[in-house]
Amino acid sequence: MTLFEFVIVFLMGGIIILSTVGNDRSVTNCTCAVIAVGLLHRATAWAKSKSPRIGAILDGTPLVMIRDGEWQQEVIRGMKIRPEDLEAAARTANVTRVEDIDYAILERNGRISVFPKKDA
Amino acid sequence: MSEEAFLSPVEDTVPKTGDVAVGEDLEFQRAWWRFERGIWIFFLLLLIADLLGLFGRGWLAKAKAVDQSQTLSLDYERIERANTPSIMTLHFGRAAIQNGKVKVFVSEEIIKPLGAQRISPQPESSTIGDGGITYTFAATQPPATAEIALLPSFPGAHHFRIQVAGGQPIDGDVVVVP
Repeated sequence: MTLFEFVIVFLMGGIIILSTVGNDRSVTNCTCAVIAVGLLHRATAWAKSKSPRIGAILDGTPLVMIRDGEWQQEVIRGMKIRPEDLEAAARTANVTRVEDIDYAILERNGRISVFPKKDA
Repeated sequence: MSEEAFLSPVEDTVPKTGDVAVGEDLEFQRAWWRFERGIWIFFLLLLIADLLGLFGRGWLAKAKAVDQSQTLSLDYERIERANTPSIMTLHFGRAAIQNGKVKVFVSEEIIKPLGAQRISPQPESSTIGDGGITYTFAATQPPATAEIALLPSFPGAHHFRIQVAGGQPIDGDVVVVP
């Protein structure tokens, strides 16, 4: 997560909390809000375990960015990926050159998995 | 992946890309991108509507009403936001001032659902009855104005009435959005 994304997440949390608790800052209200969020998480986890389609809607689907050493232009454009993002992922996987990548997969959590070519 | 996957032998259940079990669903992703485009357009329209005041506190939300006998004109917000303060301004005409006094009737909807917090200036007297409150102010010459600070608590639509003694009533509607 970049610094900007980090700021966005906290900013959204700060804004949402205003309407979640409103003027009622009692322990009762805050406890109920926490329980409601916990139940929401539990319910979505249950729904995802029952239906792969719900899982895809809530978490997304993995996407292949490089297949057999070839860029998948549709995915790269659709997900607005920059070459720097892939280069960083390649370095994490001890791959020093992008052309040595056999497969690069954008995972559902935003991480990029890199598989080097066998002869690289 | 459903629970049944854990009952079968350990093996890949998602489609493979080459040797890698990725589970890519490009058709779903294309549909999702189309959905995303629609949602972003909707969000943009929502933001424009908000800036224009469709959800209160903007150009579309501001309203002005004048009674037929020109004794009272009213500036208010026809769209209010719950738990957000606003001001309703009453401009009294020359005919509203009788014997150095202005008497104005404000219906119950302004007091309760629209949450009248205070009225400025302080009226000389307040009289309850007829489904509202009649305020009496000491007055000299126009321009003469009074302000009612509002703070609606709950969303909903409310019809109100304001009338100056000797004038025609002004009926208005206020929608309180969450």
